[in-house]
Amino acid sequence: MTGGIDFLRPELLALLPLAALPLFARSTDARHYPHLGWLPADPAGRLIGLLLRLFAALAIAAVAIALAAPGRAQTVEPRTGRGAELLLLIDRSRSMDERMLPSDWRELSPYDIRHQTLSRGPVKSRAARELLADFVARRPDDRFAVSFFSASTLYVVPFTQHDEVVQAGIAAGGVHRGLSETDVGRALISSVARFEKRAYSGSRIILLVSDGGARLDEDTRLAIRAGFERQRVALYWIYLKGFGRPDLEAAGEASEAIPEVALHRFFQTLPTPYHAYQAQSPEDLAAAVADVGRQQNHPLDFEELIPRRDYSRHFVALALALVAVLVLARRWQLGGAT
Amino acid sequence: MKPNHEFHYRFGKRASAWRPGAHPGSALGAGEHFVAHTSLFARPDPRRIDLRASLRDPRGDWLVRLARQRSHVPVAAVVDVSASMDFGAPSRKLDLVADFVSALGRACLAAGDPLSLSAFDMTCRDDLHLPPSRQPGLADLLAARLRTAACPARGHDGLSAALAPLAGRQALVFLVSDFHGYGRELESALDLLGRARVTPIVVWSPAEITPPNGEGLLRLRDLESGRLRELWLRPRLRQRWQAAVAAHREALQARFRARGIRPFFLSDPFDGDALTRHFLEGT
Repeated sequence: MTGGIDFLRPELLALLPLAALPLFARSTDARHYPHLGWLPADPAGRLIGLLLRLFAALAIAAVAIALAAPGRAQTVEPRTGRGAELLLLIDRSRSMDERMLPSDWRELSPYDIRHQTLSRGPVKSRAARELLADFVARRPDDRFAVSFFSASTLYVVPFTQHDEVVQAGIAAGGVHRGLSETDVGRALISSVARFEKRAYSGSRIILLVSDGGARLDEDTRLAIRAGFERQRVALYWIYLKGFGRPDLEAAGEASEAIPEVALHRFFQTLPTPYHAYQAQSPEDLAAAVADVGRQQNHPLDFEELIPRRDYSRHFVALALALVAVLVLARRWQLGGAT
Repeated sequence: MKPNHEFHYRFGKRASAWRPGAHPGSALGAGEHFVAHTSLFARPDPRRIDLRASLRDPRGDWLVRLARQRSHVPVAAVVDVSASMDFGAPSRKLDLVADFVSALGRACLAAGDPLSLSAFDMTCRDDLHLPPSRQPGLADLLAARLRTAACPARGHDGLSAALAPLAGRQALVFLVSDFHGYGRELESALDLLGRARVTPIVVWSPAEITPPNGEGLLRLRDLESGRLRELWLRPRLRQRWQAAVAAHREALQARFRARGIRPFFLSDPFDGDALTRHFLEGT
């Protein structure tokens, strides 16, 4: 917390005595005059002269300090927040660029739904991003991390409480179109690994936003299960169910062949809490996000790394302003030396 | 038109020197200023016998006319060459002084008076010294030296030393200086010159008595003390500047007036006619 001021190049502080130069310098641009005792006293002029000399000294001092690059040292600050550590794991695959059911899909005739969905349904990834952004904004106490995944995981934002970074990370998911592959297994393994070597300071959640499943092989399943158990991470799956996509709760042994259902069933066997939300339309998605928000609200202790803050540009700006004043005063000054 | 540098001076009172010259003297001798008659025995100069007065004399003595002769007056110029005299543009104050000195040399030549020159700053400046002499051209030589003289000294402590050779002597003394920062030492120096007629030549460059044109910050450096001083030149300060100059002029005149001396203010260019007028008015 008490980050003292430190200097990157303290040896340059040796230049500081140069600041005394203007106070002692015999100005070369002064006019000569035979006898100053003759002239009327001018306190205003004397003050201006003193200030100008002081400004010159300060400008040199500010430059010397700026060269030494002062700053508040990097500190680690313990903080207590309410809420959870949330890792947003968002599908970046091309299927996320498809559209969801429009809001009024219940009033549409079954024949129109497909056509209407393709024409005016909201894009999945975009709706998800907007809702998540809203979700992040409404939960200032949580710490968020953002990852996208397709063939492999793209780490976007590490765990942080800074909303704007998280928002920017979420917004970054909207750049260009989706990628081709979807590998939920790898994404989950690497995401769980991101909780490793972090103090357990509150509930941990992975919020998986995806529209498709995958069949996982036995090794992957083992790794995921072990990871979730060790890191005690809860999993929420917001399943963006596209038009005509399978229902997670489909019963029957035969449904095991459907990747989404298989994934769902595997998740249910995890030792840590798991909940799946099926979202067909933006309203379902909003309800799911709100539900997640209600679920986790516990106190959270964590240490925040506050980066070094560099103050040198303040000093450069100060020096620049002072020099500007001096230049103006020089223009205002009458004539040169005689 | 080239300004006229030539001038003529007057001593103002009777010179007591025996050596004949151009000024009214107090010594008796070959002159036209009749004083009295005395007996031929007291002054055996038959050329001066006044027949008319002798006939009127009740005692029947031969009477001789007594007259005062015209005498010379030693002239001395004592020049301050401290750093403050190194000021002024385009011509320095010392250039003005040089103009004056060479004109003084011609004036002395015309009057037949011996001229001595000396200069002082912190000490008496021997390189700018000229013993009393009637030789023409020496003043011009000294004027040329003054024009190129370096004056780094920051004071005028040599004033008394420079005036010491003139102490108690009857002479016409030109004290050439700007009289900046002269304190009690001026009075004690003038005390030395009790019998001399002192004409202070106050050399002020126009650049120092009038503030520069324009408005803004004026940064000045004292030539003698080296101190820096900033002035915010504005109409009000301009007035105060001129008022300060007028006050200094008045104060300087008052100091000299207390000793019955009238200073002559020399400005750029040196006006010889004004100096002649100054002498004519002063007697």
